[in-house]
Amino acid sequence: MKKTAHITVLCFAFLLMFASQGWSQSPPAEAFKNVTIHTADGKTIKSGAIVWRNGIITNVGKNIDIPFDAYVRDGGDSLHVYPGFIDGHALWGSPDIDEDVETPDEPGNPGYVRAGIQPDRKASELLQTENKSLVEAPKHGFTTAALGLKGQMLPGQIDLFFINGKNTENLLLEQGVGMTAQFEEAQGQAYPSTTMGVMSRFRQLFNDAKALQQQEQYFASVSSNYPAPKQNKVLEALHPVMDKQQPFYFVVDTKENIERVFMLQDELGFEVVIVSGKEAYKQAEELKERNIPVLASIDLPEEPKWRSEKEDEDHPEITEEMRIFRDKQEEAYKADIQNIAKMIESGVKVGFASNGLDLADFGKNLTVLKEEGNLKDEDILQMLTQSTADILGYGNQLGNITEGRIASFTIFSKPFIEEKAQALYSVTDGNLIEFEQESSEE
Amino acid sequence: MTKDTEIIMTYLKSTISACLLVLFLGMSAEAQITKKAEFGKFAITNGTIHTVTNGVIENGTVLIENEQIIDVGTDVNIPSDFEEIDASGKHVYPGFFDAGTQLGLQEIGAVAVTNDQAELGDFNPHVRAFTAINPSSVNIPVTRVNGITHVISMPVSGRLAGKATLIDLYGYSPDSMAVSPNAGLHLNWPTSKKGGWWDDRSDDEVEKEYKKDLKELNDFLSEAQFYDKMMTDFERNPNDKQQPDMNKKMQAMREVVNGGIPVIISVDAKSDILDVIEWTENYPDMQFVLAGVRDGWRVADEIAEAGLPCLVSTLYTPERDYDNYQRPYQNPGKLHAAGVKVAIATGEVENVRNAPYHAGFAASYGLGKQEALKAITINAAEIFGVNDKLGSIEKGKQANLFIADGDPFEPMNHITDVFIRGNKIPMVSRHIQLYQQYLDRGAKTN
Amino acid sequence: MKKLLLLLFAFCFSLTTGFAQEKGSVLIKDGNLITITNGNKSNTDLLIEDGVITQIGNDITAPRGVETVDASGKYVIPGIIDAHSHVAGVDINEWTNPVTAEVTMEESINPNDINIYWALAGGVTSIHLMHGSANVIGGQNETLKLRYGSDMDGLRFEDAPRTIKFALGENPTRVHGQGFDVQPRTRMGVEQVIRYHFDAAIDYQRNRREYLDAKEAYDNGNRSTPPVPVAKNERLEVLVDILEGEVLVHTHSYRADEITMLMRVFNDYGIEDYTFQHANEAFKVAPELKKNGAYTSVFADWWAYKFEVYYSTAYNASILNANGVKNSINSDSGELIRHLNHEAVKAVHYGNTSKQDALKMITINPATQLGIDEKVGSLEVGKHGDVAIWDGHPLSIYSKTLKTYVDGKKYFDRAEDADDMRLKVDAEQDFDEASGRWYNENGRHSETCLRGAEIRFSKQGMKLQGN
Repeated sequence: MKKTAHITVLCFAFLLMFASQGWSQSPPAEAFKNVTIHTADGKTIKSGAIVWRNGIITNVGKNIDIPFDAYVRDGGDSLHVYPGFIDGHALWGSPDIDEDVETPDEPGNPGYVRAGIQPDRKASELLQTENKSLVEAPKHGFTTAALGLKGQMLPGQIDLFFINGKNTENLLLEQGVGMTAQFEEAQGQAYPSTTMGVMSRFRQLFNDAKALQQQEQYFASVSSNYPAPKQNKVLEALHPVMDKQQPFYFVVDTKENIERVFMLQDELGFEVVIVSGKEAYKQAEELKERNIPVLASIDLPEEPKWRSEKEDEDHPEITEEMRIFRDKQEEAYKADIQNIAKMIESGVKVGFASNGLDLADFGKNLTVLKEEGNLKDEDILQMLTQSTADILGYGNQLGNITEGRIASFTIFSKPFIEEKAQALYSVTDGNLIEFEQESSEE
Repeated sequence: MTKDTEIIMTYLKSTISACLLVLFLGMSAEAQITKKAEFGKFAITNGTIHTVTNGVIENGTVLIENEQIIDVGTDVNIPSDFEEIDASGKHVYPGFFDAGTQLGLQEIGAVAVTNDQAELGDFNPHVRAFTAINPSSVNIPVTRVNGITHVISMPVSGRLAGKATLIDLYGYSPDSMAVSPNAGLHLNWPTSKKGGWWDDRSDDEVEKEYKKDLKELNDFLSEAQFYDKMMTDFERNPNDKQQPDMNKKMQAMREVVNGGIPVIISVDAKSDILDVIEWTENYPDMQFVLAGVRDGWRVADEIAEAGLPCLVSTLYTPERDYDNYQRPYQNPGKLHAAGVKVAIATGEVENVRNAPYHAGFAASYGLGKQEALKAITINAAEIFGVNDKLGSIEKGKQANLFIADGDPFEPMNHITDVFIRGNKIPMVSRHIQLYQQYLDRGAKTN
Repeated sequence: MKKLLLLLFAFCFSLTTGFAQEKGSVLIKDGNLITITNGNKSNTDLLIEDGVITQIGNDITAPRGVETVDASGKYVIPGIIDAHSHVAGVDINEWTNPVTAEVTMEESINPNDINIYWALAGGVTSIHLMHGSANVIGGQNETLKLRYGSDMDGLRFEDAPRTIKFALGENPTRVHGQGFDVQPRTRMGVEQVIRYHFDAAIDYQRNRREYLDAKEAYDNGNRSTPPVPVAKNERLEVLVDILEGEVLVHTHSYRADEITMLMRVFNDYGIEDYTFQHANEAFKVAPELKKNGAYTSVFADWWAYKFEVYYSTAYNASILNANGVKNSINSDSGELIRHLNHEAVKAVHYGNTSKQDALKMITINPATQLGIDEKVGSLEVGKHGDVAIWDGHPLSIYSKTLKTYVDGKKYFDRAEDADDMRLKVDAEQDFDEASGRWYNENGRHSETCLRGAEIRFSKQGMKLQGN
């Protein structure tokens, strides 16, 4: 009894430190009852209940015991609970790229920053907490996100956060889950200005980092008669990637660029996660063989205009040439939409990354995926939750609603993939946010 | 003979030979560089004459006196004082006509000061290519030795770029070279298509700008029509009228709005062509010719129905990624098949000499040799209203022709003689001079 | 239904086997063979098995499963080789530094370029995908075979020697000297940039070797103090390779004096087997080129678009050939590549080069310049089955390519040619919008050597202010 009280007080104090919206003091435990719970592995628990304490889910199921000190909310059998969506590479809160750049005196030697080589930057140190996406994301079901930085070839390190508006900056879960890498040239007139230039630059950076590491090792191993290595934050930031302790999160879309990542991987030896990967299905086999997961984009192409046009509308006669063109366009469109489905089918591990996608387009694209993307609702849910958690290395702690997991889930008014579904509550690392009901905007 | 004398003799011989050689080479080089055109009385005999308008004459004769062709046929009486040029085994063709170039206006593309084809400003109907043609352009001899005797040279920039000129390629001033000093007005049709990947305007912006450009053009034409009517009125009866102020641009438009010279419209995209066709119907008094017309084969019937002639080339890459690879070659043939009058216009400056090959590819891909020949001779002449003088080998026409050892569309054949306005052109050009100078340099290597 | 299933099966099968390095077999019967190296043979058969020419002669019977193609009345020539091309490329110029030997067109291949197909339709089977001419020492080039439908790796001409692009004259002095205020601004500077970097490469080679040897010694316990690391330098490594003769140099050049300058520099550093590209004034120094064993690869007749080509002659190819210089004719253009046969016959027109020699300029000569002449460039037993069948003599303007084979596999057939031959389709591009390719190639504006560099210079977008 004493122990429980002791813990309760501690919990109280603990929770006080992390006061969430609308609560000056959090209750010791909380619960939802009479809700439909959707787990990441596709199971549905009707009229279920979920209890969480200290940020951990303590019990989930139908007809479970709800502790006496849990604050209970009744879902009235009309609400739906989903594991919190996880964004594997979001740019929320990242400072924008400075468009106003000048040509350096020596365009061939622009310096690290000007060339966009900034692996030493950390998303957590540059996070712009007033960014609206941090408030909007939970409304779309996101509770966790790996936040990256906008930039060129090496924008910086990715830090994993729980998402809760301004409070996000206090909710850092892990620093450096990955290092963003892109085939993005330096801005304006500076080296590298081509994809082949970027590839060479990656090589040279690794060469330089390797030499520095070697010098550091030698310096540490001798007592005298050896020059001290010059500190280089950029090269040192690459050592974990070189040593395969931190993966590159390579943002690529085209089949050819994915092949270029393979080339670099074979040559330089690094772990890699593909971000975006709009044509990744074309390399599904190779990705599976190399055990490379994909944090897929759902930034789908616009539907060809003619597809939604009415037959009798004032439209020129369709020539044979036009028909062949449209057939090919349709084929390409379908292939793009079914990218994720094909990858999953081939056995590639597919998670989700917004990578700059406007949150306003999130729901719309999910609907297209469901209708034409050859994906079942469970596939989409898994992609957004458990799979991304696995890729981030948090497969046992995030991404599902089961006992022992971190309490991160969203309560929707309807199944999340339905058009008018709205998020009513978001629980992030155990902290509950209640959303104001909007008339019908989203 | 003493040994010394022997040596001297040997050296003397080689010295004399060397001197003679140098003299000879020097003379011929001298002669080449300063060789002038010959003018007077010529009889080209025993050749196959491709008259263009009256079929092919085997073993024929062409009599040239001063600027004119005075007789053509098989039974021609050759006066004794005519210089005979034996064309046995060879072919005689009318001089070729490239209906779209900047020859004489542009010299070296990368060196701005040598280029006069693009004046500043959008509406320059008064600006004339005729003024800026450089008769000494190095390109001119290079072009004419390949059988091209006439070109349209036109300004290129802005909306109404200026007036094109029709010149022959022999002369020392634009005045002596010009067949029609003002041959047409060049209009660059605004395009409803994006420029390319760097063009990041939205579709709406593109549409808006297109409409705005068209309105500007139409307003200008309205003003020009009004000005013409007003001036005509005044000129008919200046009494009791206040003389209107001179407007150079509007004055230049007069011969255009009353149909005196055609508007040459550069337009390529399909929807733009259709817009042009519709637009030209608003101006029934004006003459129009289309140029470029790369999507023309898609709307050949519409162009034919509108009766618009087309100035086209064949050596470019297809307009669309999904176009069949042959479309550029086929364009003239498909237009012709629909009933459009086509003429070859390379759009070139220093490569106008390749005009016969544009025609050759057109011939090969559907136009046929006969029609291709017409496209590079009589059709152009007809479109520009000079077919009384040019475009075929007929008695009474100007003596513009060349002699080739075979089909001039085939590069493996050679052109041996060229006549422009009765002048027998020296077969000399920078290319030929450098060839003669360097084929066997005769000097030591380093 | 059965046919549909069969088609579907065949389609799926072709997908799974993949295009990369696919080889084919075919018996071409009764054609007029222009072998290039062994004379012309009329009414003769040519057999290709698994990508290699195995027989040339009469009355050859097709092995089992090998298709027979009747070529009676037709001409069969080796696939045309374009020694200077920028089609199938992504970026062309890493123009930000005067020396960028470390970049390579191998990593800038666009296998989905429709221009590849259009080149096949003109009988071309191999191209030299080159870096642009913005830099004195540009990037490495990549020799490709036009296996349309392959991925990037599948297009590479396996075991072709490495080559690199140098550029002299107006282009690098304009881009760097005038554009960036970085040497070279003059032809004097161009020479020094090359010499400086060759010297730097020699120093680097020595220092790097010293470090690696010392490291090995230290790691094996044969040395007491560790060495200070010398990082591997991608750029200088390539320059070292050039000096060691492992990379063939192809130099964009025009003026006679800069051509002799480079020969002088190459002689100083012991570099051999090099080719001058464009070389409009090469005819002025044909004897010097011959003496140094230098090759040339020229336009048929482009000139006058820049000052350095103002004193050119269309007789360049003929003069070089007559003086014993091994010369090829290239396109440097997505337009000219479509009819390189026509460009070649211009050497007959301007200077009476023989038809045989003219054809060499687009087959065996470029093959030699790219170091692949043991594999392609002529119809010989043992060489690759890279051939094309034409309906007339290939030097006639009226002749058309009927079929083009690479490694014995047919990649173009005029009888089966369809309109839309794109490999990659943009789902968002609608029909009529998809017009106006980003640059149209014709005549004087087509020298694509400065693509990428010139666009950023002239803010008028694609209004090429002369190349």
